[in-house]
Amino acid sequence: MRFIDTQQDPWRPVEGEDGPNVTITPAPQRLLTLAQWHAVRAQWPRELPTAVAVPNDAAIEDLAEDLPRIALVVLHFPKWTDGRAYSQARLLRARYRYVGAVRATGEVLVDMMPLLSRTGFDEAQLRADQGREAAERALHFFAGHYQADVHEQRPLFLRRAAA
Amino acid sequence: MYVYTDFDRAFVHQRAAQFRDQLDRHFAGRLGDEEFRALRLQNGWYIQRHAPMARIAVPYGELSSRQLRQLARVAREFDRGYGHFTTRQNLQFNWIPLKQAADVMDLLADVDMHGIQTSGNCIRNITSDALAGIAPDEYVDPRPFCEILRQWSSLHPEFAFLPRKFKIAVTGAAEDRAAIAWHDIGLQLHKNGCGEIGFRVYVGGGMGRTPICGTLVHEFVAWQQILVFIEAIVRVYNRYGRRDNMYKARIKILVKAEGERFVKQVEDEFDAILRLDAGGDGQIIPREELDRVAACFTLPPGVAPVKSTGDGAPADAPVAYRKWLERNVQGHRLAGYRAVTLSLKRAGQAPGDVTDVQMEAAADLADRYSSGELRVTHDQNLLLPWVREADLYALWRAARDASFATPNIGLLTDMIACPGGDFCALANARSIPIAAQITERFDDLDELYDIGDIDLHISGCINSCGHHHSGHIGILGVDKDGAEWYQLTLAGSDGSTLSGGLATSAPGKVIGPSFAADEVPDAVEALIETYRRHRAASERFIDTVRRLGIEPFKTAANAVRRSTARETA
Repeated sequence: MRFIDTQQDPWRPVEGEDGPNVTITPAPQRLLTLAQWHAVRAQWPRELPTAVAVPNDAAIEDLAEDLPRIALVVLHFPKWTDGRAYSQARLLRARYRYVGAVRATGEVLVDMMPLLSRTGFDEAQLRADQGREAAERALHFFAGHYQADVHEQRPLFLRRAAA
Repeated sequence: MYVYTDFDRAFVHQRAAQFRDQLDRHFAGRLGDEEFRALRLQNGWYIQRHAPMARIAVPYGELSSRQLRQLARVAREFDRGYGHFTTRQNLQFNWIPLKQAADVMDLLADVDMHGIQTSGNCIRNITSDALAGIAPDEYVDPRPFCEILRQWSSLHPEFAFLPRKFKIAVTGAAEDRAAIAWHDIGLQLHKNGCGEIGFRVYVGGGMGRTPICGTLVHEFVAWQQILVFIEAIVRVYNRYGRRDNMYKARIKILVKAEGERFVKQVEDEFDAILRLDAGGDGQIIPREELDRVAACFTLPPGVAPVKSTGDGAPADAPVAYRKWLERNVQGHRLAGYRAVTLSLKRAGQAPGDVTDVQMEAAADLADRYSSGELRVTHDQNLLLPWVREADLYALWRAARDASFATPNIGLLTDMIACPGGDFCALANARSIPIAAQITERFDDLDELYDIGDIDLHISGCINSCGHHHSGHIGILGVDKDGAEWYQLTLAGSDGSTLSGGLATSAPGKVIGPSFAADEVPDAVEALIETYRRHRAASERFIDTVRRLGIEPFKTAANAVRRSTARETA
């Protein structure tokens, strides 16, 4: 898990502009909202990787075709107990074989780390009051799990059969 | 019983260690109340009226004597010496200080127990038929599938924060003894025309404010594919279930709102998992895995069919023994064996409650007469699954000495009741005093036998933990101006044969405005008397209610009102 320090983060949102009506100049390291991306995707240079922030109630399927052009998908937890983004991440990885970065933003707490990691997030922007050390520790309580996840595509019963 | 592997054992210990870390951070002020709340709930720890409540999982109701002794030890050393069995086959403690929570989880892990997902908005403990694996009317033993589902659902990373709680029940018999229509997912194992095993899948049942019975969404999902199908259901729910209103967040609301579209979405998701997902087909259960798990559920050592000896009653056996045989002893698929219910419904104790001494006594009975195994029933009793007919008389005497032999299984006093306002912070009214008053009122066994089979269910609030919706008589605690009132419902039905089978599962109908607490026993008696007056020969309560409709019952119950008489006039 890469922990994101917003000060150091190269990806920059297009501030003060929202909705499909603004003109966004293609540039490296742009972090666009889903609405912005939809407005510019047709004109956006194919070789210019971008980042897209997807609300947790958006259909991740709609982004499938564009994924090769997207270097970072930012998923959102408006409340940490709202688990929709876990399904979005899992679909990005397992169904659409997305290999770029998947970042968790919003109310991101240390105790979410195992779930984030297993559903395919590889970046986390912790809420300001959360400690990185506790987040690291939270990743290592379990030696293994029953289900398959994005790191281990076989559930325990297949791993056992193969052993 | 399922036998834990090294992996399973390490897993529950790792969970206990994770919880200890969270608890330590909480007490060190680094994990706030609100955030700790969701974490402790997923380990079974509520904060209740007096102290935390710990809900310990008894997966699909199977319990060993060793585990029960450890629960007795926890009750003795950490609680005030008792626990409470629930309709979802779990055990609850009421008085354990939160500071000691991690120590308790360690002790439980030592006997392969835990509180994983016994609360919170996640997939809860899987429940099943208390007669699973021993019922004469069983098509397929559901326990291996319950265990595979337990493993699949334990710390599933995608489904830990669903819109709301999610309950799954599984049966494999002709009779539904697990109230599957009342669950978020109800699974009924059966065989198709070719003799293949699969699941009938019901989705969207639930109680609470909006009681709804599940919709049949698939007639036959092959057993190999059940994890994929359930994943499809839960993913659709996780993505599209309502999160804006807690009272509309259960999957039943989504199923009702979307109807056929929901079914289509699940089918599409199911196809997509198998067709597109990396590792999607890895969730198809291999024969070897089913065999491995099923091997744990073969007959216990020393148990084998024997020549039937009948019920073993000596010629001079007392009437009480014959009554016990009639009510507390059930048939068994193995020749020479019976299933025996230890009644946890007796005067002086709340329904489902057991003291540490009683837990030890039940564990002793299990060791002596039932290969060390017990079941927790949906009706909040304990059951011994492997009793030889030849041992019945000796068992009855021992059970009687240990206060477990009240011969009332299925009768009015074998009621379901939640802990209610005496313990629960959610409750609007108390359940236990109502249960006690009714138990007192109907303390005559001959009268109880004359009344016959009936389901009386009591909930202290609309959350419906006491399943009042499915009671032939349901009692619901409501709060008006800070006082306790009780709404009575009639003709509710779970899936049991007595209630008319799975297809007739339905919530009861309210009979008029709420009753005052002291009117409830009179109102119940009026309902019972109306039945006795109008019943046809050998007609049971629920049948008479269905034949006559609720009006004559309503009239009789209204006639006993005293303090509430004016407002209904």
